[in-house]
Amino acid sequence: MNELVTATTRKFTEAILDTDRERALQAVQYAVDQGLMPEDVVFRVVIPTIDRMVRSISENFGASLAQHFITSQIAAEVTEQMIPKFKQRKNVIGHVVIGTSQGDFHGLGKRIVTGCLKAMTIDVTDLGLNVSPQRFVEAAIEGKAQVIGISSMMIHTARGETGCLGVRKILQDAGMEHKIKIIVGGAPYRYDHELYKMVKADAWADNGIEAGEVISKLIREATS
Amino acid sequence: MITGMDRLTAAVNGTTSDRIPVFCNLIDQGAKELGMPLKQYFSKGEYVAEAQLRMREKYGYDNVWSLFYVGKEAELLGCRRIIFAAEGSPNVGEMILKNYDDIHKLQVPDDLTGHPAFEEPLKCLKILRKEVGGRYPICAYVTASMTLPAMLIGMEKWMELFLLGPAEVRDELLTKCSDFFRKEIEAYRAAGADILVYANAFGSTDFIPMNLFRERSLYWMKRDLQPGGTNGLVYYCGGARMNPVIDQVIEQLGITTFYLSPLDDLAEGKKIINGRALTCGVINDIKLIDWSKEEIRTEVKRMLAAGMPGGKFLFGTLVMPYAIPEENIRTMLEAVYETGSQ
Repeated sequence: MNELVTATTRKFTEAILDTDRERALQAVQYAVDQGLMPEDVVFRVVIPTIDRMVRSISENFGASLAQHFITSQIAAEVTEQMIPKFKQRKNVIGHVVIGTSQGDFHGLGKRIVTGCLKAMTIDVTDLGLNVSPQRFVEAAIEGKAQVIGISSMMIHTARGETGCLGVRKILQDAGMEHKIKIIVGGAPYRYDHELYKMVKADAWADNGIEAGEVISKLIREATS
Repeated sequence: MITGMDRLTAAVNGTTSDRIPVFCNLIDQGAKELGMPLKQYFSKGEYVAEAQLRMREKYGYDNVWSLFYVGKEAELLGCRRIIFAAEGSPNVGEMILKNYDDIHKLQVPDDLTGHPAFEEPLKCLKILRKEVGGRYPICAYVTASMTLPAMLIGMEKWMELFLLGPAEVRDELLTKCSDFFRKEIEAYRAAGADILVYANAFGSTDFIPMNLFRERSLYWMKRDLQPGGTNGLVYYCGGARMNPVIDQVIEQLGITTFYLSPLDDLAEGKKIINGRALTCGVINDIKLIDWSKEEIRTEVKRMLAAGMPGGKFLFGTLVMPYAIPEENIRTMLEAVYETGSQ
């Protein structure tokens, strides 16, 4: 079975790097037909592939936005197909509410992050585009989320008072900072790696794929 | 008196002038310059032209812009809702393509110059041409067919269609966007724009893998540029990196100006270009909001040390954020004027 996992992971990763959805799904289907357990598909093929993508990005900055997109979409699709077939109900790691900052209408990064989180068995509430600070916090409290994810494509929506700074202020005033963590991401943060501190976020991620890993850490912090 | 055009021509020819050319892209700042809200500022070609001329005069850099905001192109294709911010670039507030059927129905206007959304940019260009034409390069912004759909259908849906959707629908949209591009660039050239900034995020391997760049980006870029040629064209990936594709762009498209990303290794970019084209070193202008004067000077010196040897070099910015303090703009420019003197 280990050989099957290795071969499937290799084929799945290659297909994703070639942005070939059909081939990726075929690799998974073949493995299932050969007897690979749904749990193994998710935890030994899909999630390690995301991890490998994170490593390849940090090592050579090599994977493109299109590859991130394909990875997240296919990973989410496969995971959603496999979870109902698990022998035991899945353990949800945590809950994240996610959206773009107020005044920002760019949703691609958020979608990539959402796909990865689903593949990592993290529940996601997608609040959509142009989300006010109040809405972020209300949704997080309502859904008992540990993390708020705020995506911004434009510098003024990243730095403005109605972005992360606004969310931080509400959490601070409500004394909820230890319970709900904030992660930010999007183009401005890639050009200024210290910007997340300026907008008072707890963390940032360079890309959607890496965000899954950082959010997992934040969930652990918020629940410890 | 040496003009911006003199400096640019010298750089293109590999000769020297008093200093290297400097392209400082102040777009939204025009509203601040005229003391009016962004929405009001972008409502009149006269305002944009006046601010462009004033800012160039005030700071002494070498180019002026006919760009209002990038969403103008969506307006030319039917978008009726632009959302203006108090202190930042306007957003496209309505995606004109909501489904594949809308793609089939999309019509490229026959005559852009008669389109109401082009009226004010044309007024602006006319004034710029009258006031500084031939002396200072007049820039226009034209989005490549591969990238334009992001403004029409949204980046998420475009990425989905581009990678996972039916090829015939994808290509139908690309053909329409390419037809639009051809008309748009022709209109800008006819109106007097000297520098055509060819904006294509999908021309960077930060966006798509190399195999798709070779198969699709090159194909559609060739189609975009085939009728009008590459005269005055600047290769720009919207701030994404381009070093890995420069060779192919020179060989297959014949483009001779590269507006690098701040994230590109400038020295490596110049080495790849190797005298075959003009290189623009681009400062990370988001950092200009918070950098100290000393940090700005240090960065300018670092960039010029990497870019100036061998000539054929100019200094540029991305689309300068509205929040950059005026004194930081001055500090950057003074450092370039001083260190970039020849």
